[in-house]
Amino acid sequence: MKIKITRRALLAGTAATAGVTAFAGPWKHNRVWAQRTDKPILIGLTHDASGQFANSGQDEQRGTIMAIEEINAKGGVLGRKLSYIVADTETTPSTATRIAERMINRNEVAFIVGAIQSGVANAIGQVAQKYGVVYFNTNSSSPTEAGKDCQRVKFVWDGTGANFANAAAANAVKTFGKKWLLLTNDYVWGHNTSKATRTTAVQYGADVFDEILVPVGTRDFSPILLKIQQAKPDVVAAAVGGDDFKVMRQQTVDMKLDRKPAWLNNQQDWPDVYGLGIDSVFGVFGTTWYHKLDLPGVEDLVKKYQARWPDTRIDVPGNVFYNGYMAMHELAKAIERAGSTNNLKVIRALEGHKMSARDRLQHGDAYIDPVSHHVQQTIYMAMGNDKPVDKTDYFKILSWVGADDAKDKNEATDCKLQPLDKTPSYEM
Amino acid sequence: MDFLLYLLPHLLNGVALGLLFALIALGFMLIIGVMEVINLAHGSLFALGAYFALSLMTPDGGLKLGIAQLLFDLPIGWRYVIVLILAPIGVAVVGMGLEVCLRRTYGKDPLYGLLLTFGAALVLEELIRLTWGPTERFIPMPPSITGAVFIGDLIYSKYRFFASGFAILMIGLLWLFLEKTPYGALIKAGAHDSEMVRALGVNLTRLRLFVFGFGTALAAIAGIVMAPIWGVRPHVGVDAVVPAFVIIVLGGVGSFWGAVIAGLLVGMVVGLTGAYATDWSLIAMYILLILVVTFRARGLLGKKSVLEL
Amino acid sequence: MLVAFAIFGTLPFWISEIGLYPYLGAEVLIFCIYALGYNVLLGYGGLPSFGHGAYFGIGAYAFGLAQFNLSSSLWLCLVAAILAAAFFGAIVSLFISHRRGIYFALMTIAFGQMFFFIASKWTSVTKGEDGLLNILRLPADFGFAAYPIQRNIPFYWFVFGCFVVTIIVLWRVVNSPFGKVVQAIKQNEARTAFLGYNVVLYKAAVFTLSCAVAGFAGALFAMAQGGAFVQVMNLQWSGVVVLMVLIGGGFVSFWGPVLGVVLYFVARDLLGVYTDTWQLWFGLLFMLVVMFKPEGLAGIWQGIVYRKQKPRSSASLHLLVMLRGR
Repeated sequence: MKIKITRRALLAGTAATAGVTAFAGPWKHNRVWAQRTDKPILIGLTHDASGQFANSGQDEQRGTIMAIEEINAKGGVLGRKLSYIVADTETTPSTATRIAERMINRNEVAFIVGAIQSGVANAIGQVAQKYGVVYFNTNSSSPTEAGKDCQRVKFVWDGTGANFANAAAANAVKTFGKKWLLLTNDYVWGHNTSKATRTTAVQYGADVFDEILVPVGTRDFSPILLKIQQAKPDVVAAAVGGDDFKVMRQQTVDMKLDRKPAWLNNQQDWPDVYGLGIDSVFGVFGTTWYHKLDLPGVEDLVKKYQARWPDTRIDVPGNVFYNGYMAMHELAKAIERAGSTNNLKVIRALEGHKMSARDRLQHGDAYIDPVSHHVQQTIYMAMGNDKPVDKTDYFKILSWVGADDAKDKNEATDCKLQPLDKTPSYEM
Repeated sequence: MDFLLYLLPHLLNGVALGLLFALIALGFMLIIGVMEVINLAHGSLFALGAYFALSLMTPDGGLKLGIAQLLFDLPIGWRYVIVLILAPIGVAVVGMGLEVCLRRTYGKDPLYGLLLTFGAALVLEELIRLTWGPTERFIPMPPSITGAVFIGDLIYSKYRFFASGFAILMIGLLWLFLEKTPYGALIKAGAHDSEMVRALGVNLTRLRLFVFGFGTALAAIAGIVMAPIWGVRPHVGVDAVVPAFVIIVLGGVGSFWGAVIAGLLVGMVVGLTGAYATDWSLIAMYILLILVVTFRARGLLGKKSVLEL
Repeated sequence: MLVAFAIFGTLPFWISEIGLYPYLGAEVLIFCIYALGYNVLLGYGGLPSFGHGAYFGIGAYAFGLAQFNLSSSLWLCLVAAILAAAFFGAIVSLFISHRRGIYFALMTIAFGQMFFFIASKWTSVTKGEDGLLNILRLPADFGFAAYPIQRNIPFYWFVFGCFVVTIIVLWRVVNSPFGKVVQAIKQNEARTAFLGYNVVLYKAAVFTLSCAVAGFAGALFAMAQGGAFVQVMNLQWSGVVVLMVLIGGGFVSFWGPVLGVVLYFVARDLLGVYTDTWQLWFGLLFMLVVMFKPEGLAGIWQGIVYRKQKPRSSASLHLLVMLRGR
């Protein structure tokens, strides 16, 4: 017997109870439908295709799609294939809300994957939580994603600004000096990241003597660069993101200010730098992955990437691709472990899940923090490569920090996940 | 004394910035002044200029014509000079195409011209993304104009000297063209009273086509000059069109020197707030605009225009 | 009017059948409210504002903040949103009401950018780019009975009610003596002033009114999204409402904006499914409409229905052209 249960029917069924009892009502409808079907598992991909983060959005999309194809080539999950739909979230939260509503109610996706910007991630996360749909924030690295804006259905795959600050600051005080100046993009990500940097740096004896706030959308850094020269710090710790960062990098390198003072940049996303030449990489920065890590399997992944995406301008996979790719594989594995596409079972299969360094293609083991739903993982420190082996070899990996050392301690206090039994249940 | 020593570099930087802002606004000014069209595609044409330059400067730009190879084989300095001429001409052709579409809106509410160019901006940006991809691009520059210069114990960018100098040159050339050539006289007359110009037997259609092409070429030149400072990405045009807007209103629609002065003023304000209150440096431009327009309805040197109706 | 009510009044029953979904319906209606309010300013007053997203956003934030800090009454929060948007609109109108044409438009951009900037900078209140989250769809309490509206279909009905109320109010306004003066100002400001009307005051009033409606729509949108985000305040989104109003034909019809909003959302939603380059096709479509049918969809409709009659406001357009001919 084949019973087709759609989420719409399910919601209509629960509406009677949920609707009347309004806020206080017990959202208790964790029924499990026996479902034996070979219907594909539909995944909604919410990657930016226009707006400020179009480039990164397309890169993570290459990751998620490649992972889906690999999973299907091996026979899919629970005997079912994965299929996907894509929609452009335009780096705009209101669009993201609409797309999430459409994917869930109209296309009836089982899972949603993809985000670069925290507003978009939050907009999707809220809709997803309302319906209980498991959502992977693949690439938004705002510390608030796994902090105060965490959600029971949302899992955060990238390292956050706080992770990178933790990993970098201690070393930098020892290596470069104690006179620190913070350069903070005047928005939430910038402030949180700089706060984490300041705490760690001060802890290791740095004197943070000034903080310059850079308005979002700044296209000319010359006054700021002059100001930095006049202040003569040992270290400039910059939490500047998006296009602002690209512009800052270009102008700093042009003025040859990239060597002295020492620059500590938070995170360098691969799509933001690849194609600009090795000289354009500046300062010391963090990343979660690099295509020349000396680990088994890395080279393989690069080859598979090049075979699958011969036409893209980004010739080798980077951290943004990697997050999308890994997240999608882990989703499939979690469904396999749960033995079902039931969202609550999948959530339970993900929470606390340990991933070996070998599987992650990183140096250290990683795990999904059950408290914040954040993937605690290895963070690499890197800088521009003075001895590249080929034209893609932009980074020199300096060191790495394991998941527990890079971890953001504030997550545990800031993040309050919704109770699992108040998260609507479904199975697609 | 210390205060002055601190201030001086920022003042000079403000002037340099102002010249660049004026350069960005020139094409916009010409089109709004003569044709009374608010060209919202200015930014996209600005970006298109940078992308054309990219394709002509390096094989990396995706141009696969045999003849382009001749260009790529030239020394980089010569290549840059040729690109500074060819790329704006290419953009001017696109601009003229846009003008042909715009003809249908003449004589109607100026909002329609604005809307048409808004649509064109969307189309152009998407075409750029389709053609060159969404990644950040890099245009190689002649080494003689890149790198750092030392002024006292401060380091400044050599390219900015070149770019500001180039801006002065362009402003000067445009002024000479408008004031000292018969074509310039014609354009100014067309701006002043198009009916009369037509009555005198001038082909107004062709004049408008030319002016629009010229204005978009200026946008392209600004795009090429700004590329090493702002970078090259499909949506870079948004960064150009808004300041251009502000500068024209501040200076007054239809005034050449108004635009130049307003550009310098905006540069100075952005430069100085950048030095003293960095977090306010972006909004300073708008506060300046509101202050000026509140007290001087038509900007600094504006003339009466049909756009006010 | 009946057609619109009939279509929107039955929408939840058939929208899923045509491949769309109720949330889209609610979003369309919210933007209709926004666009209708805006059209009183643009289509009737002839005053182009390119910073209206600011008041939409202020309404959204005010609704969220009122809900968190003041009251859990839906009505009070809505009133707070409307008042907040009207208040800031009124202040801005002091600066811009004696401006005309392009200077008016550009001043609205400048103010819009200021509000946008402040909203993104003032993160302790607005939460910046993360968004002000967890805004609830409060139950609609009518005294005798309270209806929960968290789910999309009841919420849709609630928004539909708001839409009807807005239409009634705005219809009354544009057909009142006040509305006639506003239209006269559009046709000839100087002449209206000579007739003894305080033109500046009328312009300020109509601007404030449209800001209040934008704030109302913003509050509804905050409920729809469950949050308030700063992006709706930026220049691009402010431009979108102008685009929707004009493509729909706000200059020639009270209903034009509704058509424009429907076209915008449905076209984008459908194009967005098939192609990532929807912006290209939408831009082209838009250019074609401006070039060949500048009166917009409403103009096309009127062209079909009243082939013989002259549409209502094309007279004022002709007048504008004449004035401009010099």
